[in-house]
Amino acid sequence: MKNVSIYRPTTVDEAIQILSHHGSDAGVYAGGTDLLIRLKNRLQQAPTYLVDIKRIDNLRYIKEDADGSVRIGTATKLSELADSDLLKKKYPMLVQAINFISSPELRNASTLGGDLLQEVWCQYLRGGYSCWRNGGHICFGAIGDNSYYHSAMGGRLCYAVYPGDAATALIPFDARVKLATPAGVKELTMEQLVPGDMMVDGRIQSHVVRYNEILTEVVIPAPKPGLQASFEKLRPRGVWDFAMASLALSLQLRGKTIDDARVVFGGISGRPYRETAVENFLRGKTLSAELGEQAIAVALAHAAPLKYNSTKIDMAKGLLASGLAKMNAAA
Amino acid sequence: MQIIEAILLEPIGCLAEFPAQPFNEIAAQCFGRKNKPSKSGSRSYWHLLNLMESSGNQSVEALELQAVEQAVPYEDVIPALTELKAMGIQLFLTSSLSTAAITRFLAKNGLEKFFSAIWTRENAPGIKVAPLQSALTAVSLNPQHVMYLTDTAEGLKVANSLGVTSVLMMNDPDEARRLTTHNPAGGIVSLHELPDFIRLVAAENAMIRK
Repeated sequence: MKNVSIYRPTTVDEAIQILSHHGSDAGVYAGGTDLLIRLKNRLQQAPTYLVDIKRIDNLRYIKEDADGSVRIGTATKLSELADSDLLKKKYPMLVQAINFISSPELRNASTLGGDLLQEVWCQYLRGGYSCWRNGGHICFGAIGDNSYYHSAMGGRLCYAVYPGDAATALIPFDARVKLATPAGVKELTMEQLVPGDMMVDGRIQSHVVRYNEILTEVVIPAPKPGLQASFEKLRPRGVWDFAMASLALSLQLRGKTIDDARVVFGGISGRPYRETAVENFLRGKTLSAELGEQAIAVALAHAAPLKYNSTKIDMAKGLLASGLAKMNAAA
Repeated sequence: MQIIEAILLEPIGCLAEFPAQPFNEIAAQCFGRKNKPSKSGSRSYWHLLNLMESSGNQSVEALELQAVEQAVPYEDVIPALTELKAMGIQLFLTSSLSTAAITRFLAKNGLEKFFSAIWTRENAPGIKVAPLQSALTAVSLNPQHVMYLTDTAEGLKVANSLGVTSVLMMNDPDEARRLTTHNPAGGIVSLHELPDFIRLVAAENAMIRK
């Protein structure tokens, strides 16, 4: 592992100044469960200067606003989200998703911001192959073993899937994020934050955060009465692994009638894949035993599996059918 | 990798999926039948070129035209070429096919407008390396700033012999995995990635200059 220098700023402004000074050689360090492994994996994009934001005391909180929305500081640990009574009451699906992330030990170190902005977990990247994210110009996942951690929905140079679960689970709640930038605070939707393989500052990354910006807050609007949501995740191993396919599903119900829907798949694409075709199909429909089969007929029409991962599409469709069946049983 | 200013494109395997059969048939008619002809259009084509090179140029133009008629252009060819052109990248068609075959290929698929120049085995003159060499000489570009797309080992060898940036078109994942041992400078799964490839290389160069 290369030698690194650590800065410990106490304000967001100070952190941004340090990041701006060092450019792409610096990186934000919070939980370290992604960043330190990037260093251990000797990835070319791993930073030399770590900007430890743990001493910035206003980034770690879960607060409810008067309008019922909830604001979460991005340095809040995943275990704190999982243990939050407020989140369990208002957004049980989010807590369900958080509990699917890695292991209890890692959730105790990982932060929400780190989960949202983590690097992909392609075995070729982590194994030191000179791929798009590691100083090279080829995706070995596209031509190698792509059964687990690569996109079945096409790609853009890099075919690794976006591995985070929190973003997938937050999109159905229409969550937004705040970014502190040298020019002030910027607000984005969760989908705008992680649009998939983006060229930012001369590198490929899953998110749009520039080298001198810090993700500071996630804001989740108050859920409307009648909102039902669920999160399911299929993994190569029963515990502690990334999704081969996951589904965050939310339905705005009036009795059994679906007024609105959000369908977001994880683990199958370079971004959380919002399936608007299914959302449009579900809107106005009545929950029934047959609805799942009908929904999967319109789902993932743009699938473009690689050689070894077409099963991900079957898994994703299975999750959709079972998710709707469970909602029907519960309604 | 240097900033890319021009791309040399071979229609076979880069712009369209060609059938193997016409090339195998040309090889059989001119040089005798092979026991196990390849099913890949690209590999059959390059095998034929090797035979032509070793025994003097011969070809059966009618069969080349038949291959062109059966070729299926990749669905992202026109959007990708349009975007590359808009980026100011010079595009050259360099092929060992005959001028008649190339002219028909371009006309049939509406691709004439994208290319600054076309080099075939007749106006190069010669096969394999000759069309690429002619293109490089004509535009006076540093080979390092020129990209050559190919999906065969022979194509990579030709590119490397000229010092151009060889980029693997990864049409068949298993074949592409084998071809990475020939050290291509890069690889793409689909032509639609090419504009991003070039933009990223330009951004990397800009970061290095900083």
